[in-house]
Amino acid sequence: MKFNTDRKWLERRAEQEDRHFISVGGLISTLDPTCQAEIVNMPTVETTKTAFVRLLQLTRRERRLSSEKLAEIADVDLAELLKIEMDETFTPGLRTVHQLAVALNLPVKKMMVLAGLLQIKDPHLQQASVRFAARSEPVGSVSPEEHAALEEYVKFLNER
Amino acid sequence: MNPKRTMTLNLTDQEMSVLEELSIQKDLSKTALLRQALRLYQIVDARISRGEKFFFEDPDKQKAELMVL
Amino acid sequence: MRETIQILDCHSGQAVAAEIFDEITLEHFIETQAIWRPVVLDAVRALAKSPNQTTLIPRHFHWDWTRKEAELKMLALKFFGLSCDGRLQGIMKVDTVVRSCRLPEQQGKPLVYIDYIETAPWNIKQLMEPLGKRQQYRGVGSRLFEAAVLQSEEEDFKGRLGLHSLPGAETFYIKECGMTPVGRDPHKQNLLWCEFTPEQARRYLAGD
Repeated sequence: MKFNTDRKWLERRAEQEDRHFISVGGLISTLDPTCQAEIVNMPTVETTKTAFVRLLQLTRRERRLSSEKLAEIADVDLAELLKIEMDETFTPGLRTVHQLAVALNLPVKKMMVLAGLLQIKDPHLQQASVRFAARSEPVGSVSPEEHAALEEYVKFLNER
Repeated sequence: MNPKRTMTLNLTDQEMSVLEELSIQKDLSKTALLRQALRLYQIVDARISRGEKFFFEDPDKQKAELMVL
Repeated sequence: MRETIQILDCHSGQAVAAEIFDEITLEHFIETQAIWRPVVLDAVRALAKSPNQTTLIPRHFHWDWTRKEAELKMLALKFFGLSCDGRLQGIMKVDTVVRSCRLPEQQGKPLVYIDYIETAPWNIKQLMEPLGKRQQYRGVGSRLFEAAVLQSEEEDFKGRLGLHSLPGAETFYIKECGMTPVGRDPHKQNLLWCEFTPEQARRYLAGD
């Protein structure tokens, strides 16, 4: 690839870029003042929440449990369970997370952290959560790759 | 630059004719066009393997499933 | 692919060597979340509280983590990173198959579609100012955009490029880069579809 080596070209492009948010699909800009509260309350770490939901979905699918069956086994409200699986911005109740963790044999405290109910600073947890989320998807039968990702992630959670 | 390997391709007259026509239409070399076809095939294959279905939708919004593989 | 290019260092005012590469891994995505995102949110919170705030508030567009690792194996997708000083400074994802030209004179012809392009927050002036910090590097996004155009030429797409511009960047892509605004896309949150013809791409690269 032959990139432009002219310093003036670079200065001009940099100056143009500085005047705008040029991100595509990443940062977006909006004039809507009503989203200010949303921004201020946005979690610093969104990926552990994604990992929480994905962990729940994959473990349930691996055991071939419907949401209804899992809600029954865990003794939690089905509507809340469905909301957890469909809406990553939704924060589940303490009892619900505890019950689900026990029913699926997942470490309770870690699940609380992933669900955003407990705060701990753990960059390794965040990295592992991102890796897991990037290797899985919410629906369909569990692929061998997803199975491997799930095993690895659950092992990590149990060891720390 | 990723190293490239060479392959000989034996096509029928009809296949070659289609390849040439598409190349002109898409303003692509024949190699570039076949590369696009391979990329598309990989995406479609990956998604169907995951259980997704591949549909075409006609202007009247009628869906027809396109079976691949 | 790994090329050495220049970007601008805001501290020294000099052009410095950086690398553009296409061997992106999951670790790079992790870096954007673990290191970039907290800085973005700090800056956005500071911006939101500022009484003199007249600039647009950037909002994080939810990054879909699903299948990212699988995407890295797709031939149709190309990922580019820009690093300097041992750190990731920018990242970009392009798609060479799923979208094609919409401008009537090149309708249906393949193009490189910029799906995602982002610069590390410490390189964005409007994010550093509310935090009382100085921007680190300039020109990162432009270099990635340039890489997308060059990739289009390498693909034999003659420089044809497309993207959905976010609201605050429309002027940049149309006026500064010289893309043609084609129309708002109802299938993509009504974002403006912008496209390069081969001639426009050539002018962009040459700086005309």
